[in-house]
Amino acid sequence: MTILMMILTILFPAAGALALKLVPGLNENRKRLFLFTAAFLLIDCALALITALCGDAEWTFLHLTDSLPLMLKSDMLSRFFSVFFTIMWTVPALYAYKYMEHEGHEQRYDMFYLLTLAALNALAYSGTAVTMYLNFEMMTLLSVALVLHEMTKEAIAAGLKYLIYSIAGATMGLLGIFYLATNTNGAVFVPGGSLNPSGMTISVTAMMVILLVTLVGFGTKAGMFPMHAWLPTAHPIAPAPASAVLSGVITKAGVLCILRIIFYVVGVDFIRGTWLQQALLTLSLLTVFMGSMMAYRTDLLKKRLAYSTVSQVSYVLMGIFMLQPTALTGSLLHIIFHSAIKTTLFLAAGSIIHQTGKTKVSELEGIGKQMPVTIWCFTIASLGLIGIPPTGGFISKWNLAQGALASGTGVFSWLGPVVLLISALLTAGYLLPVTIHGFFPGKDFDYEGLKTCECHRFMLISMIICVVFVVLGGMFPGAFIAFFGRIASSLM
Amino acid sequence: MQLILPSLIVFPMLSAVVSYVIGRHSKKARNIFTCSASLLVFGGTLWLLLMALRGEQTLEFHLEGFCGMGMNLKADGFRSLYVCVAALMWAGTGLFSPQYFAHYRNRNRYHFFCLFTLGATLGVFLSDDLYTTFVFFEIMSFTSYTWVAHEETPGAMRAAETYLAVAVIGGMVTLMGLFLTYQALGTLSFDGMLKAAKALENRNGLYLPGALILFGFGAKGGMFPVHIWLPKAHPVAPAPASALLSGILTKTGIFGILAISLSIFREDAVWGLVILLLGCITMFLGALLGLFSIDLKRTLACSSMSQIGFILVGIGCQCLLGEESSLAAQGTVLHMVNHSLFKLVLFMCAGTVYMHLHKLDLNDIRGWGRRKPFLMICFLMAGLGISGIPLWSGFVSKSLLHEGILEYVHEGAAYAGIAKAVEIIFVLTGGLTLSYMTKLFVAVFVEKHPTRQKEFDENRHYLSLPGRIAIAIPAILVFLFGLTPSFSMRALSDLAMPFLRSHSHAVNYFSSENLIGALKSVLVAAVVYPFIVRRWMMKADVKMGGERYINRWLKHFDLEDSVYRPLILGLLRIFGCFFSLCDQLLEKALMPFLMTLGSLIAEGADRLMDGLIVPCLEGLGTFFGRILDTVTDLSVIGLKKSVMRTRKPAPRPTVGSLLAFRIGLVLDRIILFLNHTILRFHPIRTKFVPVIAAAEQNVLETSRYYSRTISFSLLMFAIGLLIFLIFILR
Repeated sequence: MTILMMILTILFPAAGALALKLVPGLNENRKRLFLFTAAFLLIDCALALITALCGDAEWTFLHLTDSLPLMLKSDMLSRFFSVFFTIMWTVPALYAYKYMEHEGHEQRYDMFYLLTLAALNALAYSGTAVTMYLNFEMMTLLSVALVLHEMTKEAIAAGLKYLIYSIAGATMGLLGIFYLATNTNGAVFVPGGSLNPSGMTISVTAMMVILLVTLVGFGTKAGMFPMHAWLPTAHPIAPAPASAVLSGVITKAGVLCILRIIFYVVGVDFIRGTWLQQALLTLSLLTVFMGSMMAYRTDLLKKRLAYSTVSQVSYVLMGIFMLQPTALTGSLLHIIFHSAIKTTLFLAAGSIIHQTGKTKVSELEGIGKQMPVTIWCFTIASLGLIGIPPTGGFISKWNLAQGALASGTGVFSWLGPVVLLISALLTAGYLLPVTIHGFFPGKDFDYEGLKTCECHRFMLISMIICVVFVVLGGMFPGAFIAFFGRIASSLM
Repeated sequence: MQLILPSLIVFPMLSAVVSYVIGRHSKKARNIFTCSASLLVFGGTLWLLLMALRGEQTLEFHLEGFCGMGMNLKADGFRSLYVCVAALMWAGTGLFSPQYFAHYRNRNRYHFFCLFTLGATLGVFLSDDLYTTFVFFEIMSFTSYTWVAHEETPGAMRAAETYLAVAVIGGMVTLMGLFLTYQALGTLSFDGMLKAAKALENRNGLYLPGALILFGFGAKGGMFPVHIWLPKAHPVAPAPASALLSGILTKTGIFGILAISLSIFREDAVWGLVILLLGCITMFLGALLGLFSIDLKRTLACSSMSQIGFILVGIGCQCLLGEESSLAAQGTVLHMVNHSLFKLVLFMCAGTVYMHLHKLDLNDIRGWGRRKPFLMICFLMAGLGISGIPLWSGFVSKSLLHEGILEYVHEGAAYAGIAKAVEIIFVLTGGLTLSYMTKLFVAVFVEKHPTRQKEFDENRHYLSLPGRIAIAIPAILVFLFGLTPSFSMRALSDLAMPFLRSHSHAVNYFSSENLIGALKSVLVAAVVYPFIVRRWMMKADVKMGGERYINRWLKHFDLEDSVYRPLILGLLRIFGCFFSLCDQLLEKALMPFLMTLGSLIAEGADRLMDGLIVPCLEGLGTFFGRILDTVTDLSVIGLKKSVMRTRKPAPRPTVGSLLAFRIGLVLDRIILFLNHTILRFHPIRTKFVPVIAAAEQNVLETSRYYSRTISFSLLMFAIGLLIFLIFILR
């Protein structure tokens, strides 16, 4: 039963994409196209939730060789990620209905949107590293269509860059999977990992180098230095709802792969206290700082947000690399809160572009008077990203910092929180000017010539849902903390 | 019943939303609504205070899981007192603001954030653990930003930027302190921290988190050296907001400092000394800045800073004195309350002036207060109070603080010498306070404006009734408290003792020692005002005649502009350049470099393949292919030539064997006979002897070859069998 639900969750959006192509007359009727897509997404949400309520299950559907099974597996982490992916995929869809009106080619967009969700769900339910790799590549290839949707020369170049980086990253990941599959039982995901350091075919140092390459490779999707450069190129070019999911959801797919490799294949004891952990922490902290700094210096709003994503996803990675339960809880919390926050920010940026055509922060004087609700959402999301209580960002930061301090990683245990806080200051520096200039345009602002141009309510609803979640989730995070704490304690 | 505590926080926040909605439709209804909402909150807090005065049970409220760590609220004596003061200030400014804001834009925004901040501020004062304090403190910091920025002039925006930067940096630094404290002590509740810190053997690890927390709360309180926002933000904010910023928001910082000083660092002399010294610098520097300033609201802002310094001195003394801290504790809490009341009155008076003149420079507002007895009396009450003149409430609190220092000096403990110096500065600062208040009073209410005096005097209906009430009530309180200290102020300070972890102590407020202390300050002022303010800080005015106030403060000496801003912006620039360089390098240089390198390598490899390797391989391949192709044939030939070599055939016998010869002979005879008889005409000429011999030869030859071939196959078979046997038997 669970297996059936799992497969349904994965295949349903794919079936939806097929239906979009086959059902006649959808291309002419926007409304019907939207209703179709929305129905598939909502039903898939329901399916993902039902699967999440069922227990653990695993299903080997193919043996590549005798020792390399392809397996689907439903455990706590996969259920969480599946529900997370599906819901965060559904929310911007409502926004896309109004936004994509001027972009055109909606049928193609919706098809690839649904297909990518199918690949993401498959990624979440992957039971072995090889399965994960295959789904990861599939997800990459399908999501390229979202990046180059506009089909301008720039968009295609950005799409190619995204593709090159992603595939390079995945290939680096594959290297590790080869070695891990030989040294564990086919790289099947086992909580706590199954790598036995004493019985390996290669030396421990070689294994660590390979692991570093692997994790950096999967870190490409998560925007980790030095493979982050695709984000600031691809995000600003993609249509707003697509950049929202690229930044809010797809980057988290990279995080999922890293989680799987570290906690389900290798095991924490192999990495804890080694130079590998220090190298990974250095990379992630460098990314946190660099992303914020670059965002602070960028004027293009969507590019600024993309750099901010680079920085924020590395908060998550830092929490993972601390190899400490509280820090991991913080990471998982930050995954959901950052996703909701960044979705809001990108959607708000998209609304601004949609309504006024302004793309630069320096042009946004008085925007709050023109689009009050949008900028309110933007402001609350900004406060969340800075980590001001009582928003969700504060909760995740608290857990990340507490975990870091308790992790016993020497200098990193205090450097981590310090970098987080400096990055928070920079976050305030690059996000709040939008609010400040938006709502406080100056005494000489021309109020008479002011025209309100608030965006359509469908677009607002998507943002408001996210913002309400960020605030309420921050005020009452008990259930999340408990659930993530359970995941974390099952791994360490 | 304990639900009153969260509702004190939630109700103002909800009414903020309601007021915004109402304000979209009717300004008047909104004004009435906001006033009544803040009055209602004031009623609630007053009830709390009365309950506390009657000694009822302390209310507590716990909400598990709020923001992850839970929300803990408590309404003991001190908190009840302070939420009541806060709500009083909001109610007062609420009554005053409709008239003040009559010609402003964005009033809805002001009222929304004003009420929202009220909720958050009450949250700070009611909190019972640092986590809850921090949550509400941050909300308050951000919502109060809108006050400073409200006017949206360039000056206001710049001050607001400073305010926000200080708030964000302070907040983050405090957060780091909280991380470390929680890590070290495992709890953030005030009582829990006291116990945990006592149980700790090595307390040195607590100084860093303590300092970080002090930085954040001190920044909000206006403590040196993070006071920079205070003298800038107050003058540009609308007057009601300045009153709140100065009277209450600074006290939230003090609340935080009190919370850690009296829990983690209770009886910690080093900590006490640091606070004492910082307080002393803040106190003196604030008064000095106030004396130099010629801007009404800036003077008041600097005065706020100075008074915060007095309070910090009190806190420092409490830490130094430990168990014996009763006097300092009473002084601290009373001076907090007093300062809130003074600043409420003074800023609303300043707001009244600004409302009519839109100017704050002392030279421009000179004489505006003449013939306005109500305003003058109220200003005088607060001015005398803040200067610590006997019979007004400031005297009582300052005397208590003074006695607190003296008590430490008399104890003769380790830092007595330093404390003695602090005491002298304390008295001196008291004198400076009186001097700058005299300067303000004389300028506004005594001197005459050289040109506009007539116009000023005619302005009689300068304040509406609600405004008058708002100003009069705190002014009366200041005087009443000062007249009846042992009845009113004693009761208030006793309320706060449990929170300050001290005990009540009978004091003779009007003892000769206290009066002499006040007298010393008056003497200082008697020297400073006539000789420095009137002589050095005034200059003959050439244009308008008479004298005018000039700002003698060094123009370029500003901590923020000369140190903090260049430092932070410089760091940002350096790191920014560095990382954008890295990024560009990675994107513009490294990737193309790798790409070029890759394509070069690929191209080279391609060429190499085409030109050299492929032909070579082809040749080699052909060579090996040939070899492989012919290896079997060659081996067979080799075998044939060596092992299986055919010996030279024996010389052909001409006759053949005997049998063949006889058969041939017989056949020849038969043919001969036949030729003579039947075949006479067609005789057979063949000689059969050689033919038979040849046939025999042929058969023999063939059979020999045949046998050899079988033997070769048998040999091969045998070898194969052998290999097979070796293989399976291995």
